[in-house]
Amino acid sequence: MKRGLAVYAVFAYAFLHVPLLILAIFSFNSSKFAVWESFSLQWYRAVAADANLIESSVNSLIIAVVATVVATIIGTLAAYGLWKRGSQWLSGSLYLSLVTPEIVTGASLLALFQWIFRFAHLRLGMHTVILAHVGFSLAYVVVVVLARLRSYDPTLEEAALDLGATEFGAFWRVTLPYLGPAIAAAAMLAFTVSIDDYVITSLVAGVDSQTLPMVIYAMARRGVNPALNAVSTLVVFGLGMLIILSERLRKT
Amino acid sequence: MRLRIGFLAPTAILMAITMLAPLAIIVVYSLLTRGAYGGVELPWTIENFTRLWDPVYGIIFVRSFWIAAVATALCLVLGFPLAMFIARSGSRKNLYLSLVILPFWTSFLIRTYAWMFLLRDTGIINSALQALRIIREPLPLLYNDGAVILGLVYGFLPFMVLPLYATLERLDPALLEAAADLGARPWDTLVRVTLPLCAPGIRAGAILVFVPCLGTYLTSDLLGGSKTVLIGNLVQNQFTASRDWPFGAALSLALMAIAMVLLFAVRRRGEELL
Amino acid sequence: MNRRAFLLGTTASAAACSRGPRLNIFNWSDYVAPDTVSNFEREVGVRVRYGTYESIPEMLAKVMSGNSGWDVIFPSAEYIQPMRDMGLLARLNHDWLPNLGNLDRQFQQPPWDPGLDWCVPYMHGATGIVYQKALGWTPRAWSDLWDARLAGKLTMLDDPPEVFAACLKTLGYSLNSADPSQLKAAQQRAIAQKPLVRAYLNAEVRDQLVAGDVAAAQAWAVTAAQAIAAAPDKLAFSFPSEGFPRYADNVAILRESTRMESAHRFINYLLRPRVAAAIVETTRTAACNGAAQQYLPEALRSDPVLFPPAEILARGEWFAPQSAAGQRLRDRLWTEIKT
Repeated sequence: MKRGLAVYAVFAYAFLHVPLLILAIFSFNSSKFAVWESFSLQWYRAVAADANLIESSVNSLIIAVVATVVATIIGTLAAYGLWKRGSQWLSGSLYLSLVTPEIVTGASLLALFQWIFRFAHLRLGMHTVILAHVGFSLAYVVVVVLARLRSYDPTLEEAALDLGATEFGAFWRVTLPYLGPAIAAAAMLAFTVSIDDYVITSLVAGVDSQTLPMVIYAMARRGVNPALNAVSTLVVFGLGMLIILSERLRKT
Repeated sequence: MRLRIGFLAPTAILMAITMLAPLAIIVVYSLLTRGAYGGVELPWTIENFTRLWDPVYGIIFVRSFWIAAVATALCLVLGFPLAMFIARSGSRKNLYLSLVILPFWTSFLIRTYAWMFLLRDTGIINSALQALRIIREPLPLLYNDGAVILGLVYGFLPFMVLPLYATLERLDPALLEAAADLGARPWDTLVRVTLPLCAPGIRAGAILVFVPCLGTYLTSDLLGGSKTVLIGNLVQNQFTASRDWPFGAALSLALMAIAMVLLFAVRRRGEELL
Repeated sequence: MNRRAFLLGTTASAAACSRGPRLNIFNWSDYVAPDTVSNFEREVGVRVRYGTYESIPEMLAKVMSGNSGWDVIFPSAEYIQPMRDMGLLARLNHDWLPNLGNLDRQFQQPPWDPGLDWCVPYMHGATGIVYQKALGWTPRAWSDLWDARLAGKLTMLDDPPEVFAACLKTLGYSLNSADPSQLKAAQQRAIAQKPLVRAYLNAEVRDQLVAGDVAAAQAWAVTAAQAIAAAPDKLAFSFPSEGFPRYADNVAILRESTRMESAHRFINYLLRPRVAAAIVETTRTAACNGAAQQYLPEALRSDPVLFPPAEILARGEWFAPQSAAGQRLRDRLWTEIKT
């Protein structure tokens, strides 16, 4: 069985990564179009020279990291609270935030902010984007962590309480470690939905808060642009290196 | 008790701001009239809801639900073995998990264009098949429902794999050994031991895939050639080209209502919504 | 974290919130030359924040609040009057725009703003048919796009006004029609055409034309010019004989802007012949700037796609704003076409 799974996994990973491979190959293509001409680094040079691209990437990273951290923390807490106590309207509103089409969330958030800004002297900016991102990431975190909690044995916490732990101590030292894999998965999911969000971000972003998806969508709508391939390859390569590095560090 | 309320509070506040207040705005909008160039204006009306009774929209809803259901089922079938593989890979779990999600940190748009590039008549797949003389004319791999489903499965697979992994990881191998000792074959173990134990994960994955699939518009625009309208396209259109925000709001509320009904229907008695 | 990173960080953030004068420009993507903005920044000493949008409704949603932070925008011609009615535009001061005379004669008193009080025409174009020369026959009219020989290799624009325009023109009506019977007839034509249509694509069709996947496409002149430039021996363009839509994008200043002088200087800068010519060369759109013509390379100046002769242009019809009822009907019909 294990070997069968491994073979399947190879195909599955291939399915997931083949488009990336295509992108990477053509990012080194000197021609603009999808016919191989010759090896060239010109697109990478173009990316490095594009200040707009770099700035928006940095913005995206900042937003994604902050939103992920915040959403994961309060989402985990919420999942625990929902598991212990339950709240129909909170579950309902989390579910609704998943159902709502992005354009509706974006347009209504924009309307809300614009209404608020009539009274407060604020403008759209990074803060509105981060707020929006935390808002829509929460549901993902809660759903994933809660799924893990549903197969958790409550008596473990009770045992800890019997042994003299506080309520918070029981949560912190018994349940939380158990939730570790789910929290990691949830954080990855939250980061993913944040870093690639276009619709909501483009509506609530301010003048100074352009993000990478906004720049990419603008470039991509015109057709093939190998600079975008270069950007994707760089992102994958950079983050891939980070992952491998953290694996190595973890093992030592 | 206080602890749990304290745990729920931050999320509650955030939901109130980012979900419920906007929802109230959406409800208000759905009862107003469209502004000439976007936005809304008085008078109040329920016209946006009466418009929904048109059979055209019924067809669109049904088709969207069908496509989302097929995509979800495929994600489950394809994602389950992968999640199992990762959950059992011991110390390399995080690495494999990250490899699943790594492609999704690049732009969805670019990845979809890469698929279009692969599936085109002059694309790699068709060219290879023709070169190997398996087919003579290029296969129409693009601009149909199949391509849209492929795109959806590709785009939402990690949303199924991650929750599945979160529950499968916890699965005690001893349980499986016990089942084997008692004479169960691998298939039986799968159906009667593994699946029930990771049911919450399956459910979570189904929600995280099915529900966003209902609202998707980009995939059907790009991979479907924009030839069919799904709910996502319809709503998207109302807020952009058509500039009919009230109708878009009404559509969106209808979608939310149907999805809530579905959720209540599949919930087991006494269980929580999520 | 070391000292170097810290210094880099602080200088970066210091540069970002520099106290110098600024200008926020909101434009369509891909509508200036690579050095247009940076040259302006250097010459005038103003820091420019350049944002882009993909559709007018997207831009409208952000500027309608009157508090968006943008100064200069680029609305299409049919939105000038509505935006003016909504009080979004600032009145232009011609004293600050000495280069206005550089505009091509046909744009000095455009139908949507005869006095040029609210906007200055920027780039214009038309919609027509791009086709593969290998087809063997030339699609000369919109009705040629209903030819069965194109089955599966035809694309139309994913833009309701454009598709309706093509259908209405085949029936001999105005493309701005709000008459229900005319629109329904146009809808029937669109539905009849749908089995032949490979996909509804906008600018993305360019690559497919070049690759040969698509034999004929309804396309904007700018897309056509770019495609033909990439494959000149394979592709050609025709302006349909029944008539075709013309569009023009204009520069305007938002009324909320507090940087009127810089904004006017930017518009004046765009009106310079050399600047406009550089933009035309990069983007392959036709500038409304007549004086720029002499600075264009011969190939561009005589490009029949970008600068067709007057007799052809006379067949064009400008898009006009739609009434709310007309828009509603069109949306409904469009949804039915797509279902």
